[in-house]
Amino acid sequence: MKKEKISEVIITYAILILVSFVFFFPVLWLVLASFSSTGSIYDYDGFFPKSYSVATYIKLFNDTQMYDYPSWLKNTLFVSGFSCVISTVLVILTAYTMSRFKFKMRKPLMKTTLVLSMFPSFMGMTAVYLIMINFNMINNLWSLILIYSAGAPMGYLVQKGYFDTISASIYEAARIDGASNPTIFWKVTLPLSKPILVYTALTSFAWPWSDFILPNMLLKNRDLWTVAVGLTHLGETEFSRFAAGAIFIAVPIVILYFSLSGFLVAGVSDGAVKQ
Amino acid sequence: MKQGNIKTKCSYVIMGLGQFLYGQRVKGLLYMAILAIYLFYLFSQGISDMAGLFTLGTVEGDPWLGTEGDDSIIMMLKGILSFMILGAVLIFYFSNIRDVKVTEKLLEQGKKAPGFFKSVENYVDKKFYVVALFFPVIGVLVFNVLPIVFMILIAFTNYGGNIIPPKLIDWIGLGNFKQIFALSGIKETFVRILGWNIVWAICATVLNYFGGLLLALLLNKRCVKGKTFWRAFPIIAYAVPGFITLLGFKFMFSYGGPINYYIMKFGGNSIGFLDIDAGMKARVIGLLVNAWISIPTSMLLATGILSNMNNELYEAASLDGAGRWKQFTSLTLPFVIFSTTPTLITSFVGNFNNFGVFYFLRGGLYLDNYFLASDTDLLINWLYNLSIDNNYYGIGAAVSLIIFVITSVISLLAYVNSSAFKKEDTFR
Repeated sequence: MKKEKISEVIITYAILILVSFVFFFPVLWLVLASFSSTGSIYDYDGFFPKSYSVATYIKLFNDTQMYDYPSWLKNTLFVSGFSCVISTVLVILTAYTMSRFKFKMRKPLMKTTLVLSMFPSFMGMTAVYLIMINFNMINNLWSLILIYSAGAPMGYLVQKGYFDTISASIYEAARIDGASNPTIFWKVTLPLSKPILVYTALTSFAWPWSDFILPNMLLKNRDLWTVAVGLTHLGETEFSRFAAGAIFIAVPIVILYFSLSGFLVAGVSDGAVKQ
Repeated sequence: MKQGNIKTKCSYVIMGLGQFLYGQRVKGLLYMAILAIYLFYLFSQGISDMAGLFTLGTVEGDPWLGTEGDDSIIMMLKGILSFMILGAVLIFYFSNIRDVKVTEKLLEQGKKAPGFFKSVENYVDKKFYVVALFFPVIGVLVFNVLPIVFMILIAFTNYGGNIIPPKLIDWIGLGNFKQIFALSGIKETFVRILGWNIVWAICATVLNYFGGLLLALLLNKRCVKGKTFWRAFPIIAYAVPGFITLLGFKFMFSYGGPINYYIMKFGGNSIGFLDIDAGMKARVIGLLVNAWISIPTSMLLATGILSNMNNELYEAASLDGAGRWKQFTSLTLPFVIFSTTPTLITSFVGNFNNFGVFYFLRGGLYLDNYFLASDTDLLINWLYNLSIDNNYYGIGAAVSLIIFVITSVISLLAYVNSSAFKKEDTFR
């Protein structure tokens, strides 16, 4: 390719700056709003607060009478943490098995998951809701964890794509050395699959961390709410509290994504190409 | 007949008996225990559960008389569960027959039958995939398959509205579908929502897909320095949890929000962008907000794919005198579309069923000429309004079956007609 002309370079950068602004500005707006000293959205100068302070953050954690943010945060951490661990184990096991072993039920299983994933996710959820009500399992954080983890193996394709790239000769060598299949999984596969482990753990942590629909359906008690459910109950007059609460849970996720962005790009594109 | 054969036959009648007689005591006992537990379950409730799936209850409860009636929903769930258990026991039964034959063969060859721990160890090694997939499959069965089966069955009952337990629920065949396609009110709503849903899915997919592709191409240009820096902004947008973004935008377009602030400052009247009578405004805002959320993902995807592209192709093309536009349409685009067809389909289906955008931006609004929906609601939002908010479970389930049929037909057609399926080796 030839070198671009000067005018083209200028236009390119102009578009880039515009795009970056479009993506960054709403985030910046929320960050600024969280440092507003007043609460209601009507007390702002357009996008900008009239004056700045950290009062909202202090209020967020101390004024828990109406909106108990610390306990929302605790519930969210609890659900995401346990779901993350269990889902990661299940997904990795499923993906590895589907990629490495060629057993009779493999193709039928893969086709079944494909068909299952075409049902609107919501359809299952209404049923899960009815089941949970009938077996008296609503208002229980563990039932959320159960649902998140049990459904997780359905999304094994990205991980399978990763395992497909590990050459079979490694396994055969280990096999000849007399290693049993469980040993191979522990000693050979797991050390090789750090990137995909990290990717899986991150995505299965982030999903319950930011999911709203399921907790909103299953958690009716105020003290069991997760952050996502709690934040939707904040109206225009509690806007800065919303912003502060949102920033507080968005920041860890954003940092995680950035520190792992290498894995992420690989994960997203691998899964896409190899499906 | 040889003696061994009779022992093997024993396992056909009583699962585990053969293994027991061959001397594999623990294994045999375990199999027999499973059988015993199942038989106990079958005669104590299994049979009535199975029957319950067909009758859905015969005795209606009456709080006045204090009679405890049948709960149709519990009966249906238990019925499905009893058939799933039957399936599991059948699997055990066949594994038992296979296992006893292996033992028979071993003994015929004069070898010793392995003890219990030895056989467990062998099994875990040889059939690692069964052990590894056990919990995932159970989980998916209980939390994906069971709910879906349950919902499919619900679509053929009159569950919902006034008819909820303790009232008895009945099978009504295609009654719900007839209502959706024939009953005035529901029919118009369905047709309107379906039309908008299709328009939405096409617009959103095209916008996100090409937006992401163009952004990736822009970032890929040679003159752009500091690519990581520029790429960081869309990634921030990608990493912020979706519900925060959506609620944030809702605040932005609300009456007290900054957009209306500036409109009023310049002398305009505040506009209800997401109000009940917003019409097109709300739809366009929905599309744009959805693009803001989704473009970063498709940008990451396109970046990954572009980096796999062969640069020599471009050099050859420019030697042949092909312009930039020509290069884009005949090299970049076919390659990218070829490699992303599966994602394109999933993203189309994802957009078709995009629950979040309109739920958060303006959920819970009901327009007059709609049946429990508003003009921005997609089928999936309508489904939510029907079943979660208003207890129309039967109709809701029927709607979700219709969604399933639409999305699976579209995905199948798109997949079969895609170049990725027709000529798999073109770019490899």
